[in-house]
Amino acid sequence: MPDAEVVVIGSGICGALAARRLALAGADVLVLEAGGPIERGQVVAAFRDSPRKSDWLAPYPYHPWAPHPLYLPEENNYLVQAGPDPWPVQYLRGVGGTSWHWAAQAWRLLPSDLRLASLYGVGVDWPLSYEELDPWYQEAEELMGVAGAEDTGSPRSQPFPMAPVAEPWAMRRIRERLAPLYAVTANTAARNSRSYGGRPACCGNNSCQPICPIDAQYHGGLAIRSALDAGARLQSHAVVHRLEADAGGRIRAAHYLTPDGQPRQVSGQVFIVAANGVESPKLLLMSGLANRSGQVGRNLMDHLSTALTFEADEPLWLGRGPQSPSAINSRRDGEFRREHAAYRLDFTNISRVDSVTNDLLEKGVYGPAFEQQLRRRVAHEMGVRNVLEVLPDPANRIVLSGRTDALGLPTPQVHYRIDDYVRRGAQAAQQDFALIAERMGGQRLRYSAAGKFSANHHITGTLAMGDDPARSVCDRYGRAHDHDNLYLCGTAVMPTSGTMNATLTAVALALRSAEQIRPMPAARA
Amino acid sequence: MPSPTRRLLLKAVLAGYATAWLPTAWAAPGDAGQAAFLDLSALLVGRSYVDPAQGKPLFEAFKAQAGDFPNRCLALLAQIQARQLDPATLQRVLDAEASPLAALPRQVARAWLQGVVGSGTKARCLAYETALNAQMVGDVLRPPSYAYGAYGSWASAERSDA
Ligand SMILES: Cc1cc2nc3c(=O)[nH]c(=O)nc-3n(C[C@H](O)[C@H](O)[C@H](O)COP(=O)(O)OP(=O)(O)OC[C@H]3O[C@@H](n4cnc5c(N)ncnc54)[C@H](O)[C@@H]3O)c2cc1C
Ligand code: SF4
Repeated sequence: MPDAEVVVIGSGICGALAARRLALAGADVLVLEAGGPIERGQVVAAFRDSPRKSDWLAPYPYHPWAPHPLYLPEENNYLVQAGPDPWPVQYLRGVGGTSWHWAAQAWRLLPSDLRLASLYGVGVDWPLSYEELDPWYQEAEELMGVAGAEDTGSPRSQPFPMAPVAEPWAMRRIRERLAPLYAVTANTAARNSRSYGGRPACCGNNSCQPICPIDAQYHGGLAIRSALDAGARLQSHAVVHRLEADAGGRIRAAHYLTPDGQPRQVSGQVFIVAANGVESPKLLLMSGLANRSGQVGRNLMDHLSTALTFEADEPLWLGRGPQSPSAINSRRDGEFRREHAAYRLDFTNISRVDSVTNDLLEKGVYGPAFEQQLRRRVAHEMGVRNVLEVLPDPANRIVLSGRTDALGLPTPQVHYRIDDYVRRGAQAAQQDFALIAERMGGQRLRYSAAGKFSANHHITGTLAMGDDPARSVCDRYGRAHDHDNLYLCGTAVMPTSGTMNATLTAVALALRSAEQIRPMPAARA
Repeated sequence: MPSPTRRLLLKAVLAGYATAWLPTAWAAPGDAGQAAFLDLSALLVGRSYVDPAQGKPLFEAFKAQAGDFPNRCLALLAQIQARQLDPATLQRVLDAEASPLAALPRQVARAWLQGVVGSGTKARCLAYETALNAQMVGDVLRPPSYAYGAYGSWASAERSDA
């Protein structure tokens, strides 16, 4: 008898919601999770006590036996940067995973995002259509409690579970002043605009990143709890370092280490690797599996951003309401995608108090001028950034580094080069930035440093799906081409990145994989 | 009421200094370093008064991190007084002459404005919602992680004409 029918590696939002669905379908599911527990109340307290309020990793527990990249106060160099460009990605290793500290933006892709190669001659096509994804998107949105407006450009056959969250005053003014030049739309987010799923409506704490103190936004901690409620089992403190295949290529066991290095293994009939876009390929590379195509870890994509900050000519007081409420979607698609990256324009509503304080202190502004400048800037400053599509490039990849962690396991290494397609997209967005600033009566414009891009932590492409086993890692259901009882779940299976935060799509695909592994009996659907 | 020692100290270091800058915060009798810290703090954050009760844990934390902290406060305050240095230009002046005290104003200001004492791996946050930067905008904003209000209360016009 195997130890479990389905062994899921990783208790993040994708692994957990696949585990939940399989458990509801009647499967015996065991989730192996490298990290330890994460408690909401403790994270809220740690955030309030944190000396670095803008460092969203800081309030989270760090498990030395299951490290994740840390950058402040000192880099831990867990993720080795091989360049030429840096990719300072963030993720969390702990029960529930990275979406504990996400922004909960839960957009669908556009239909064209899945057909880039045939429409525009760049990137690749997906092995499935948007229409096939639609019901899985809907199921994911209902599980996660997604609120959104209808005018997103992504067709849907059923309404959103919830109306958009009430528009902050600042966003209303931006929308009014940019019309009709730009249509400013409410962001689609897994954030409650009313009580939903036993969780309350948003009350505007404005700490969505790093932690929503009232669970008004959905996250992986809730997902794994729902999986356990459905009957799945969880083994935390289990760092899986090798999958073992039998002579026929079927996976028979997952080997893991406990925090003190004790070796353990569990057997199963089906295995799901859901350890995220860096750790999942790392595990397959360590296991020497699923890589006939040589594509494991390759085609790494993340959305990249440049930004503009300026002072509007009216007080907006960012920081009232949720952090990321509004966007401009008109640059997400068009013939220009043949030439340069598509992008979304995203308006921040993150309180400026901490960042302006830092800046004024840096500049040595003391005395009465401090309060005057703080109030003026906190009231008037606003920010817009682009979220740029990145194309798959096999040279951008995760490999095993020569370094090892506390358990003696290799740490990941990233090779990353930002190409001209992205740089041209950023160039095009500069014109939007300038127009937006002009319309808002912008003064003291501050563009992000030329040629520098920030990461968005949407780790796509490293286990890309496709129909051709010679050029992709898994099939349209996330099943590894090389191992018929191995499934891959998470953002990594996405062959292109589009311009939207990746998690909703990854959850939809994970639910679809779960249905493929064990269909939900009609009575429970 | 200020103690006689305290009066002497003020007389010594602040004689001739513009009264607008005279802070009214008083430290425990006999603790010249702490008194200097409070006076310096008030100058840097642009207030005529800083709360000694709020200042005490900050001062203690600084002292625990660097034993010479009280003396550095005394030295900087004395310089400010002697040279009639204005807070608006203080940092530039100290930086230009590569003063050994150049880091101090920022450290002290940060402690009050963000509640943070120390830097890097030694940084500790001792105040958040009571830190002065939160208080300075408290008529309009709540510190992140505290509820702004009932659902949708953020949709109306701002509450300040700043
Ligand atoms: C600051 C920030 C903001 C973000 N905002 C958004 C947003 O607004 N919208 C959006 O769509 N996305 C956002 N993201 C990205 C989002 O968090 C991820 O896409 C999402 O968490 C991916 O889910 P996952 O389950 O694939 O991986 P994760 O959430 O990373 O979970 C993977 C799990 O696997 C475990 N694991 C890893 N290695 C092993 C191992 N060897 N053995 C056992 N277990 C292992 C980890 O501990 C973790 O629990 C954001 C990310 C960050 C950092
Ligand atoms: S604004 Fe506050 S309540 Fe709303 S989602 Fe963000 S953190 Fe949660």
